[in-house]
Amino acid sequence: MIGGRVLVVDDTAFNRRLLVRLLTSIGHETLEAENGREALALLRDPAVVPVDVILLDIVMPEMDGYEALEALKADPQLRDLPVIVITGVDELASVVRCIQMGAADYLPKTVDPEILRARIGASMSAKRLHDLERETLEQQRRLLATIDRQRSELARFLSPQVAALVSSDDGEAMLAGHRREITAMFCDLRNFTSFSEAAEPEEVLGFLRAYHGVMGPLIVEHEGTLEHFAGDGFMTFFNDPVLQPDHATRAIALAVAMRERFADLGAEWRKRGYVLEIGVGIATGYATLGRIGFEGRYDYGAVGHAIILAARLSGEAAAGEILIAPRTYAAAEDAIEVQPAGDRQLKGFSRPIPVYAVTAMRTKELAE
Amino acid sequence: MSEAILDPAAFAHLLAITGDDLEFVDELVDTYFDDAVIQLEAMRKAAENGDAEALVRPAHSLKSSSANIGASTLSEACRSLEADGRTGVVPDFAGRVTDCEATFAAVRSALLAERASR
Repeated sequence: MIGGRVLVVDDTAFNRRLLVRLLTSIGHETLEAENGREALALLRDPAVVPVDVILLDIVMPEMDGYEALEALKADPQLRDLPVIVITGVDELASVVRCIQMGAADYLPKTVDPEILRARIGASMSAKRLHDLERETLEQQRRLLATIDRQRSELARFLSPQVAALVSSDDGEAMLAGHRREITAMFCDLRNFTSFSEAAEPEEVLGFLRAYHGVMGPLIVEHEGTLEHFAGDGFMTFFNDPVLQPDHATRAIALAVAMRERFADLGAEWRKRGYVLEIGVGIATGYATLGRIGFEGRYDYGAVGHAIILAARLSGEAAAGEILIAPRTYAAAEDAIEVQPAGDRQLKGFSRPIPVYAVTAMRTKELAE
Repeated sequence: MSEAILDPAAFAHLLAITGDDLEFVDELVDTYFDDAVIQLEAMRKAAENGDAEALVRPAHSLKSSSANIGASTLSEACRSLEADGRTGVVPDFAGRVTDCEATFAAVRSALLAERASR
């Protein structure tokens, strides 16, 4: 056993000398106090190296063993220090009281060094175990705080739905990849390229900040999963990772809301001489979703026919136009007003596709 | 009389637990003498004032250290005084403290005689 530091608290010089002598002979360092008050002052003195065990007499002037024990157990810094009560011949009742108050053990005043060695050793082991436990709990607390911080940081970079998915139980399986019907929405700005060439870079950035500031909250409000945004364009999908039975309607409702909200922003920029309008393409179909990318940089992404179709439709859309695919129209028919926008021959698609332009939502509320 | 005053077993125990370090035990005994004088003074003062409460702590302390050194008679006398002190009524207060003083003197003589005889 490695020697520890033991504080001997006893008002009688005889007892202190004897205990110090015995403790030293079995390899411990000692500190002495004549009463409880002195002991507490030593234990609370930051300049004093902390002790491992306290040997405490009961009957003492100034502050007796009971009061000292009470003060120790009430002090969060000292509460875990093992206290061994040292007792005289007929003090069994006092010992019981001390143990009820939290003392670890008791010893007679003239104790055999082997017993002293064993009892102090046991108390020190218990304390080390306790310290270890406390340390582990502290580490765990720090770890959990880090996870919490990472999760909230993650939520700033990912869609809230994806951030929640990462920390959920079935997150790994979902990230590994799955097939699901989704509605994908592509949105970008007409004339953005010429605007960014003509305007000052500060102006472009200022505009993008305002644009994202308006569009971002709308996506969150409609609970879309933002897959990516780059400059003026972004892609959002619905029905994944959170299931949304009305995903087609939601996507269209988001597009209509964006068009409405963008009107104010567009009008403001028109005054400065820049004509900017949004164009949206929406398509519904099966896609493979999950972790896409490479070690070091993954995104939660979607791959499939519907995504490509939505991107093509967004490219086809005129200023302020929301073009939707036939399957999206079929799914949202009751909730929207449309005008047929003709059959379009789109790049990568063998046959012309009938396309619809959304004019308005039929009801303001989303279907439940 | 001297056998009852000093229990050789307690003294031998003290010697055994210190690894037969006579020099240290002698120092310890001297500490006991110094301490006993202080406690007896406090007990004397308590008796003079008729203060039973003030008797408890010094009687307790002297009881304990006397037991450790093997002064059984003195330890027992102190135990009884401590117990009475706690009740608040100490019959023959001054007389019993005087007895303790006399017993201590005898203990001291016996211990010093033992030391001189080596």
